[in-house]
Amino acid sequence: MLAEVLTQLALVISILVPVSVIVFIGRERLARTRSEWRSRLRTAGPVIAVLIGVLLINRVARQTAPELSRQVGFHLSGAFYELEGEFILIFQSIQTPETTAYFSTIYVYGYTFLLIFPVIAYFTLSDTRIFRRLLTAYALNYAIGLVLYILVVAYGPRNLMPGELMERMLYNTNPQYQYLTSEVNTNTNVFPSLHTSLSATVATFAWKTRSEFPKWFPIAVVLAASVAISTMYLGIHWALDVVAGTMLAAACVSLSDRLVDRWSVAELSEQFADRLPWPQNQE
Amino acid sequence: MNGGQAAQEPDRAGADGTRLSRRAALATTAGLTASVSGCVGRLRDLFTQRNIRQLSLTITTLPADSDRESIRIANELEQALTTAGVDVSFDVRSGIEFNRAVLYDHDFDICIGHHPGGTDPDFLYEALHSLYIDESGWQNPFGYANLAVDDLLEKQRHADGAERRDAVTNALEAIATEQPFVPICVPEEHRVVNTDRFTGWADGHLATRHGYLGLEPTADVETLRAVHTDSRPTKNLNPLAADYRGRGTITQLLYDSLAADDATGEIQPWLAASWEWRGATLDVHLRNGCTFHDGEPVTAADVEFTYQFLADMSDDDDDRVAPAPRFRGRIDAVEAIDVRDRDRLELTVDAGQAVGERALLVPILPAHIWRDQSDSAVGLGSGALAQGTPTAVATNNMPPVGSGPYQFVNRTEGDQLTLERFDDHFTLRSGVERPAPMVAAFSIDISPNSETAIQAVENDTADVTSAAIDTNHVGSVAEKDGQQLLESPSWTYYFLGFNTRKAPFGNPRFRRVIARLIDKEWLVENVFYGHARPIATPVTEEWVPDSLAWDGQDPETPFLGASGEVDVDAARAAFEDAGFRYDDRDRLRVRQ
Repeated sequence: MLAEVLTQLALVISILVPVSVIVFIGRERLARTRSEWRSRLRTAGPVIAVLIGVLLINRVARQTAPELSRQVGFHLSGAFYELEGEFILIFQSIQTPETTAYFSTIYVYGYTFLLIFPVIAYFTLSDTRIFRRLLTAYALNYAIGLVLYILVVAYGPRNLMPGELMERMLYNTNPQYQYLTSEVNTNTNVFPSLHTSLSATVATFAWKTRSEFPKWFPIAVVLAASVAISTMYLGIHWALDVVAGTMLAAACVSLSDRLVDRWSVAELSEQFADRLPWPQNQE
Repeated sequence: MNGGQAAQEPDRAGADGTRLSRRAALATTAGLTASVSGCVGRLRDLFTQRNIRQLSLTITTLPADSDRESIRIANELEQALTTAGVDVSFDVRSGIEFNRAVLYDHDFDICIGHHPGGTDPDFLYEALHSLYIDESGWQNPFGYANLAVDDLLEKQRHADGAERRDAVTNALEAIATEQPFVPICVPEEHRVVNTDRFTGWADGHLATRHGYLGLEPTADVETLRAVHTDSRPTKNLNPLAADYRGRGTITQLLYDSLAADDATGEIQPWLAASWEWRGATLDVHLRNGCTFHDGEPVTAADVEFTYQFLADMSDDDDDRVAPAPRFRGRIDAVEAIDVRDRDRLELTVDAGQAVGERALLVPILPAHIWRDQSDSAVGLGSGALAQGTPTAVATNNMPPVGSGPYQFVNRTEGDQLTLERFDDHFTLRSGVERPAPMVAAFSIDISPNSETAIQAVENDTADVTSAAIDTNHVGSVAEKDGQQLLESPSWTYYFLGFNTRKAPFGNPRFRRVIARLIDKEWLVENVFYGHARPIATPVTEEWVPDSLAWDGQDPETPFLGASGEVDVDAARAAFEDAGFRYDDRDRLRVRQ
């Protein structure tokens, strides 16, 4: 079943990405990328390694973190519920089968596309700085997110008020998606919303690169906003998670600006060619 | 009818019967003043004001992913309590965490969950006897102490036949009066099974080992594929770990017990070939030549060790007594144990025959493995369990070594568990008329929810949904060839438990008012979609006395309201009748 869901996701992405490459990137940049890709990869190598490192740690931590969380984490489901109550039920007013289908699709496919496309798009820019910043911001999102997940044990609204949310819960309309989401996350990891923070990160970069990719900018903003709303509409996240996600995105984008090019990347990459460049991550 | 209730009416949604604008409704009710909390109350306040404040309590329960019904009941209770002037918050915990908080740490005010119950009412002895107040596990997590109830529970334990039935009735009536916990309803158990690959699904109850033994595979079928919605068995297979065990179905397949029971509570020989009663002594003959999965023989010494170990897991020269958190009531019936020879032993019980034989239902542990677990206790900072928890309870027991019909092969945490037939099991011998493991392999795949589990059977990637499916999916299972929706008898029940160690939950008057804020009938219809029966007493139907039979409403604690909606005035009056008072802002005040 997981394989089925993944295949479907891969299929959708493999259609969306080439189409967007043609629409948003343009022939000229692609041609230049073909001649420059080696040197660009070399420059960006260390950052790519950091991101892969963080993702691997995340992967491993998904197994061990719940037990650690149990020991050091704060149980905050009740507190979140107390604080914001039934705020997210305001989306009841826009609830129709169509909006549910839209937000379910956005949550799974839209989000994945939103994360993957800018990586490709920014790689086609001659100046690799924005590409490296994007990857750094991704890595920061995951790294900080993981720490918060360990510290905060909380269930999302769908777990606390299933009755009210019933009709539009993702796993009620598309139960098979829970194979996917339980593969990448546990249900107590709701604070902050990484869906929101990564989407907001992408949208911020889309704004920064709006002169290079003018058509991508509005699309990215609409998609990112839809992702953030979908997390609440589908009852997966509290509004507090979404606010925290937005703040995390802002922090990661600005940190990425300070971190990237802080060290001479060429020197570092030579120095640490056969090691993971941890120093970049320990800032 | 008052303004508060009327304000809620338009907000009520259709099918699920949920209420939307809780806060809006509360705001309205807060504006209404109950007239009864008048001058007298306020005068008395002058003397005792300091330590009396609004009752604020936490409901500990499970998230929808683990148990949709529990959190839904909690949602309804929260609303009822809030309208009655109580400040309510939630503590939502996973299955493991819920059990640790409630059963081990006793760290809760009110809990709502799913109680394993029992086919025989004697489980109430374990659940409520005051001797167990300080122990960890399903033995009296409520901290309930009532000498009269203790006495009644002991009486039914020593009686048999009609005398026992009377004693049980007396105990049940006393418990219903006291409401140490509120039994809510018994959910139906439905499972989806593949009838093309296996037949004989209805022969054994699928929550017990017998459900998975004796199934007839069709030609070429070599694996029994279960899909399970609880990932705990992939993390821990310790039969003593109350935090990881639900009903212990899988550990029953790994560990034999001397006897086995079925859905009617009838007890039959299992690892014991036979037993005879001599006075209060059970003379037990073990089957010859049984071995554990590691090849060591199962002897009377292992049985003796098991009973001694479950009664006290600490080592001999330790003053502490550390009973196991499961099987307490059964173990407690055994007074003395004498090994006569390798395959024969005598159990002297302090109980009648009916309860005495239930002592034979505990898993037999290999002494050569568990003896080492007795000497130490979990030290400071070595895990999420409280300091002093015996390692025998804390261990995940991987790989488990029992003598049961299936043995452990491998597992992937959170994903799957594979067992294989134990070819030396006694049920596979000719001449033994007990259900045997019919297929070579038994795989258990973890599925994230009931619906995906049902789909797995529909798509023929699984043969059985081993956990009962969520009641909201029962109606939507497709009828088709080769697949069947199977209903099994049920004795588990949803309950609201009070931590009677804390004020005001130690007060039976208070507990009775809370019980009357739960509309069991409405919950059954709207949360369980009719697939449950409301109860006033937590025993199987054959044990329910006439006085506690459900007659359209709770005979003991009828609901204070109608159609799930609490009558606020009636609720306040009930609290006041029970000796509690309201302040001028309609908050229920108690000394906490």
